[in-house]
Amino acid sequence: MPTRFSTVIILLGLLMWPMTGAMAHTWGDPVVGNLDSIGSDTMAGLMLRWGERLEQRYPAVRLQLQANGSATAPPALAEGTTRLGPMSRRMTASEREMFEASHGYPPTEIPVAMDALAVFVNRHNPLGKLTMTQLDAIFSDTLRCGAETSIERWDDLDRPELAGPIDRHSRNSVSGSYGVFRRDALCGGNFRVDVNEHPGSSSVVAAVAATIGGIGYSGIGYVTSAVRPLALQEGDGPAVMPSERTTLNGEYPLSRTLYLYVNLPPGESLPPVERAFIDLVLSPAGQDSVRESGFIPLPESVIAAVRQALGLNVPWGHVSPR
Amino acid sequence: MTERSLSPSPWRRRFRYVRDRLFTLAVTACGIGVILAVLAIGVFLVVEVVPLFTGSASTANSDAIDIESLWLPQQYPGYDEPQYRWQANAATDADTPMFSLTPLAWGTLKAAVYALLFAVPLALGAAIHSACFMSRRLRFRIKPVIELMEALPGVVIGFIAGLVLAPYVERHLVGVFALVLVLPLGILAAGIIQARLPWCLSKRVPLGWAGLWLIPWLAGLVALTLGISPYLEVLWFDGDMRTWMDQQLGLDYATRNAMVVGLAMGFAVIPTIYSLAEDALAGVPASLSEGAQALGASQWQTLWKVLLPAASPGIFSAVMIGAGRAVGETMIVLMATGNTALMTLSPLDGMRSMAANIAIELPEAAPGGVHYQLLLLCALLLFVFTFCVNTLAELVRSRLTQRYQRLGGTT
Repeated sequence: MPTRFSTVIILLGLLMWPMTGAMAHTWGDPVVGNLDSIGSDTMAGLMLRWGERLEQRYPAVRLQLQANGSATAPPALAEGTTRLGPMSRRMTASEREMFEASHGYPPTEIPVAMDALAVFVNRHNPLGKLTMTQLDAIFSDTLRCGAETSIERWDDLDRPELAGPIDRHSRNSVSGSYGVFRRDALCGGNFRVDVNEHPGSSSVVAAVAATIGGIGYSGIGYVTSAVRPLALQEGDGPAVMPSERTTLNGEYPLSRTLYLYVNLPPGESLPPVERAFIDLVLSPAGQDSVRESGFIPLPESVIAAVRQALGLNVPWGHVSPR
Repeated sequence: MTERSLSPSPWRRRFRYVRDRLFTLAVTACGIGVILAVLAIGVFLVVEVVPLFTGSASTANSDAIDIESLWLPQQYPGYDEPQYRWQANAATDADTPMFSLTPLAWGTLKAAVYALLFAVPLALGAAIHSACFMSRRLRFRIKPVIELMEALPGVVIGFIAGLVLAPYVERHLVGVFALVLVLPLGILAAGIIQARLPWCLSKRVPLGWAGLWLIPWLAGLVALTLGISPYLEVLWFDGDMRTWMDQQLGLDYATRNAMVVGLAMGFAVIPTIYSLAEDALAGVPASLSEGAQALGASQWQTLWKVLLPAASPGIFSAVMIGAGRAVGETMIVLMATGNTALMTLSPLDGMRSMAANIAIELPEAAPGGVHYQLLLLCALLLFVFTFCVNTLAELVRSRLTQRYQRLGGTT
């Protein structure tokens, strides 16, 4: 079984020399102990990289990671089994209510990275761009984005060089990518029944690469040279290719933010271990890990604002509340 | 044996007695433990599923779930006609999810039926040949090899089927369809030729060793068929059969379809059916077939009138156990189909089976929610189905053993 089906518990770092003198005199507060994380499968690799970097900085910390999917984070946060919940989408209203019902205050939402959903076709397909209405007409049968009729075959696009049936590929219905695509590309409508559902993003890419009439979507980090990403056009606007720049300036229509949810009572500051982790995530080194994992780093201004809100700009030695 | 072991000292005898009792106890405890574990799984599933129907599920839209909504077509907003739809969505609160178990049950059975369509003729044919006609030396080597196929993990078969076989079949449609015709005819032709050969030649290719000398013959046929199929494709189908089917017949060919699943899962089921059916046939008491042949029946008559009727319960149970495996198989269906919850009979369309659905969605379903409970309901249905099928097969098989013993066999 692929790892995403079983509970993946990754123990990072060994408790090698806890409380070594070297640690204590570098930082005001000892950063020691376990950090639990339960949530997104998309972000598993990214969390792992951050965990490795954290361990390099503080050998006495270990990150325990369970990556079963974004939907597992809110219950775990509400029940208090974890204090970190990575999610590849925003919490829904009902998930927020569940957290508030058990803690009395809302969860703290920290954006940590951006991701663009690329729509791609087989590399032999000459198609260069699609409008958002056409995209909806290809993938949905509810046509909420304003198309008159469904696009059943490539011939329906009225391009002489395109013909034949369309092979549609998607992620499975519980993944964050599926939810984002459904909300932003299908205007909240439903997928057609004959859309193939794949358990992983790389599986979508492989399937589109193998079929000449294939079309699919995945996070931009998964796109290989065997498929060709399409430019997307909203209304009468320009057709936009997915890239770091177009995602950050909001021109590309299918983008999402990846979040880290933490349980932070109002008026209190983060415990040392979580503080060290989030400080790392929102540092240049942490954002390098984002790029290495195939996601898009947050813009500087957003990082500065988030750090400000969390009180992370103060040098370490001075914040110890004790 | 030495004298000491024939009359051991009283102390030693007592020690052996206690050791035997302890061991018996341990074995019994393990057996009971296994039975309890199976029961506990059933009870767990039932307990988790019951709130779905009593309405005490934690999520608000639980009142929409009853037997009717799970199995009959439902009217959803945005559609003209009632639909069978399975579309769970954990990511948004906006729409009501669509939970219909009918397409999942359909997909499960469709995958199993196509697998059995491929596996049963091959496995039973192989079992009959190796039990009745094959030379003993070859049989003792071939049987373990086929049974070794059973050890292949489903993930491996599914991986090969989804990423190697499916694209290959799509590119070589004409060749694959031609093979379906050519291989059985080729085997028949080989039989006819073998029977017409003069004695000096046919003794070199005896029937008992057909398993070996057919291999180069069939390999040659496969190479020939695949070799000329591109020319046939140009000649008959304008160079691309998929486009031709699409334009002339209106058939849409999905890359990951029931045909590929049938092939891959059939491959996984063949060893089970073959092994059980072969045991049943080989276990038919020799007195029966010898009696028939003594009365002048030919080998063929003995097979049809004596061996097959005598072993039919065993063959039936072999097919049942194969069907049970095909219904419960997860990874092959998950990886070799597109998991499209369609309800068509066509071998060129995909499907979504219950087991694959559980594997895909359970990791992200919130425990205690309606979606989670529905997935466990699927699990319960699968559990009940395979439990019944396997029990039935075992009952039939144990009666067969009794019958053989009455007839004086050794099995």
